[in-house]
Amino acid sequence: MVLASVEQKSLSKAVYGWLLAGLVSILFAWLLSYLPTITNLGVIELSLPWVPQLGLTLSLYLDGLSLLFGLVILGIGAVIVVYAGYYFDEIADLARFYGLLMGFMGAMLALVLAGNVLTLFIAWELTSILSFLLISFYGTRTEARNGALQALIITGGGGLALLVGLVLMGTASGSMDLSQIISNSSLRDHPWYSAFTLLILIGCFSKSAQFPFHFWLPGAMSAPTPASAYLHSATMVKAGIYLLLRLAPTLGDTAFWQTALMSIGLLTMLIGAAFALRQRDLKAALAYSTISQLGALVALIGLPGEAGLEAALVGILAHALYKAALFLVVGAIDHSTGTRNLDELGGLARQLPGWAVVATMAGLSMGGLPPLLGFVAKESLLYAMLENPLALGIIVCSAAFTVTMALILVWDVFWGKREEPHHLHEASRGMLFAPAVLAGGSLLGGIQLQAFVAPLITPMIMHDLHLTLFAGFNTPLALSIVAIVGGVAIFAARNTWRTWTLPALPEGTQIYKSLVSGVEKIADLALRTQNGKLRYYLIVILGSVAILQASAGLGHLDNVKFEFNSGTDILRTLLLLLSLGATLASILYRKHLLAALALGLSGYCVGGLFLLEPAPDVALVQFMVETVGTVLLIVMLSRIDADERERAMNSLWKQSRAGLVRDIVIATVIGVGVGIFALSAVNHRQSVPETIATWHIEHSPDIGINDVVGAIVTDFRGMDTIIEITVFSVAALGVLTILAVPARKLHSPAGRLRVLRRFENAVLRRGTVLEVVHEPEAVHEDDKPLVSAFSTPLTRIMARFMLPFAFLVALTQLLYGGDAPGDGFTAGVITGLGVTLFYVVFGYHESHERLRWLNPRWLIGGGLALVIGNAIFPLLIGQSFLAHLSFDQIVLPANLHLSSTLVYETGIFLTVLGSISMVMEAIAYPKEVEPL
Amino acid sequence: MNVLFAVATGIMFGLGVFQLLRRDMVKSAMGFYILFTAINLLFFAVGAFNGRVPAYVQAAETAQVSDPLVQALILTAIVISFGTYAILLGLISSSARRYRTADLDTLDHLKG
Repeated sequence: MVLASVEQKSLSKAVYGWLLAGLVSILFAWLLSYLPTITNLGVIELSLPWVPQLGLTLSLYLDGLSLLFGLVILGIGAVIVVYAGYYFDEIADLARFYGLLMGFMGAMLALVLAGNVLTLFIAWELTSILSFLLISFYGTRTEARNGALQALIITGGGGLALLVGLVLMGTASGSMDLSQIISNSSLRDHPWYSAFTLLILIGCFSKSAQFPFHFWLPGAMSAPTPASAYLHSATMVKAGIYLLLRLAPTLGDTAFWQTALMSIGLLTMLIGAAFALRQRDLKAALAYSTISQLGALVALIGLPGEAGLEAALVGILAHALYKAALFLVVGAIDHSTGTRNLDELGGLARQLPGWAVVATMAGLSMGGLPPLLGFVAKESLLYAMLENPLALGIIVCSAAFTVTMALILVWDVFWGKREEPHHLHEASRGMLFAPAVLAGGSLLGGIQLQAFVAPLITPMIMHDLHLTLFAGFNTPLALSIVAIVGGVAIFAARNTWRTWTLPALPEGTQIYKSLVSGVEKIADLALRTQNGKLRYYLIVILGSVAILQASAGLGHLDNVKFEFNSGTDILRTLLLLLSLGATLASILYRKHLLAALALGLSGYCVGGLFLLEPAPDVALVQFMVETVGTVLLIVMLSRIDADERERAMNSLWKQSRAGLVRDIVIATVIGVGVGIFALSAVNHRQSVPETIATWHIEHSPDIGINDVVGAIVTDFRGMDTIIEITVFSVAALGVLTILAVPARKLHSPAGRLRVLRRFENAVLRRGTVLEVVHEPEAVHEDDKPLVSAFSTPLTRIMARFMLPFAFLVALTQLLYGGDAPGDGFTAGVITGLGVTLFYVVFGYHESHERLRWLNPRWLIGGGLALVIGNAIFPLLIGQSFLAHLSFDQIVLPANLHLSSTLVYETGIFLTVLGSISMVMEAIAYPKEVEPL
Repeated sequence: MNVLFAVATGIMFGLGVFQLLRRDMVKSAMGFYILFTAINLLFFAVGAFNGRVPAYVQAAETAQVSDPLVQALILTAIVISFGTYAILLGLISSSARRYRTADLDTLDHLKG
């Protein structure tokens, strides 16, 4: 029974795999159907603008190269999907894996089909991120997390270099479109050529695991084996190869390009092949042999002209087929025996005969033996490099090492002797399908070169192909035989060299680790500069801004003119002095109330300055806001315990002399910096009225508004005002959230307890003598509401009559705001003042009773809806957003105009009134205003 | 005259920073308000031209009007700074009540 259910489960998992593979195969077939078109036409392009300002288009570019890579991605992807259905034991793992794998497949396809270098880069980064997620698939394992992070840092860092390189290249060629960059033949002569080529090469080399970035690839082997087979051998690591191939016609064929690619490629090839032999973990060995193959590909792209192109394309195909197959075989070995350590494996052929055949086929292809595709690939490689003896030597050496590796994989693991048979975990037969297809591909591709391989690479090769399985006895074949014989000899001597200890070279992983720990040390150092006191951060921020401003301003202080030419200027100077004096007084006063009043006086003086400009609108708003602000501050003062305030105030006068001097110096430095900036700004303003302001004055009549400031606020910059009003109402909501909500919670017994707990915890954490508030006063207030000290019969009558009067004034402001000072905002503040007076005089409870009809939330919501609706309405009748609509045909008495501006102003009025009422309600809530 | 405005901006900014750096929360909040005023003064001083009459279309035909653009900017600035100020006062009031202190330095170690 149990067995059956297990069987059932594994069957159903496999079904998902087959279904998904079916979908991927359909895509594969669809892409394949483009092959004839591409062979005839060369390129298919599709372009949709995305962010045109950045040159970013969502464009697709399909040519022979993209098609080949796309087919590899989809074809290998399909068999990997089938394999994964058998590989994972847990359905949850499988589902997660499929999600990531499909995401990767999409990103990889986007990469090879991208028609714009920026979209290519985005896809490039996506593959890095998905690779990170797949490597850390078993995130509970330390080595998985470390390997994933290492891979991400290396490929991500390379990606940054690539981004800079691509942008530089795009800028140099004048377009971010791949097709235009490719067709630009002058890039090689551009002064930035070496810079962007170097950066692009760094990106490609890090992605394709070239020396010295190669070490991330073996570290990435903690990924589930299907992911290793797919990402880290067949597709993702080939992204760098793809980009190199893509750009080789444009950037290649220079001494720099050839030297860089040939030297790095060959070095990587040799290192990879040699290091592979030192590995005991099968997957690590395969990873190093992948590095070696990638090195060969890079070296081929570095050849002059298109000499290496054919060999590179065959190599990509051959490598993808045999390496993915071998990875899948290793996965199955791991799955059945529970180990991938070479020392513990042997003689598996008897127990897993099917796997032995597949592994032998793929291994022979890797070793480059006929009649498999790997042989063809190696022959073309040797043929392409014929004129370079040093390269030939390195290739033969690496090939010999690779043959040894293949023999170790095939002979030692499957055919070699072993005393006791392995204890095998069941390996499903369906699992064999995927590697069998891939290995079969290696064989078929080798035998039927013209039928299967040639059509795929023909679109990219201009001249005739010389792909043949057997080209007669020539130099490449001789070299091949040397490599095979050498490989077999090394294999035969494996028991001798395995015991050799190589000198300990600094490995990439160690360099990487010391780099990472270095960064951490620097971070620790940087953390020491953080002392957690907000005022120091403030000083640093303000100080740097002031220094920046001063340095910007200092250069523009030439011929500062001091004009002082009218009677009003005397008045202005007096007001400025008064304002500064009042500000200073607000600093020096030892009573908060007096300081607040002095601050208010300073603001009124500035309002007076506005009035003298003459700027009546601004002055009006300044007076109103100053009043509300001062009242707000005074009301707020009453909510803070008088003793506490006195204590805090006294602490100011106990400040040490050094501290005081420090603060004065800081304030002076910042003040001087801002002053210099202001001076230079004032000095450089345009004296000619040819500014945007003149435009505003000229166009105000178009919308029937006489008041230019009002026209700017309501119409020219109408969107700004909508945002401004929204911010204002959000601020009001913020005050409500900060003040009223915690206070209201106190009403319920549970809430009271919770608040008490929080107080106690805060005090416990602090561990000092902060006094605990055991009974918040707010609790008592429902029982006996305090009567405000301002509440005399006279003030009560005043407050009650003031509000209707305020509404009347607000109405005139609204109706005549276009022609006279005042607008919706002023109207809102005026009525808000009336409401404020209510709260000051009557206190919270009575005001709340009396102003029951005034619902701030509805006012804010309705006002905002009105403003936004008014902005959207013109869209409905075919005009632009926020367009001015005038209804002059409706004749109204008393010189009134009905227009969209009026609706707009009304909305602003309602929002502001609601916001101020909300703030007042929130402030007034828990405690009545007391005399100070 | 505008030179005087610029100098006054600098002085007021300096005063505001000094006030902002006080330990007393209420005074610190006042410092913010002084900074807002200083910035408005700066806006005001950098207007493209000084006028003799308010910025009204009909008046523009007879005499030089004051720069309307900076006025619109100041209007917006006043509104936003008032909103900020209200939030600031709300924060101060609630933290002063909760932690029973109006001294910023005693608040330094309270987190959460």
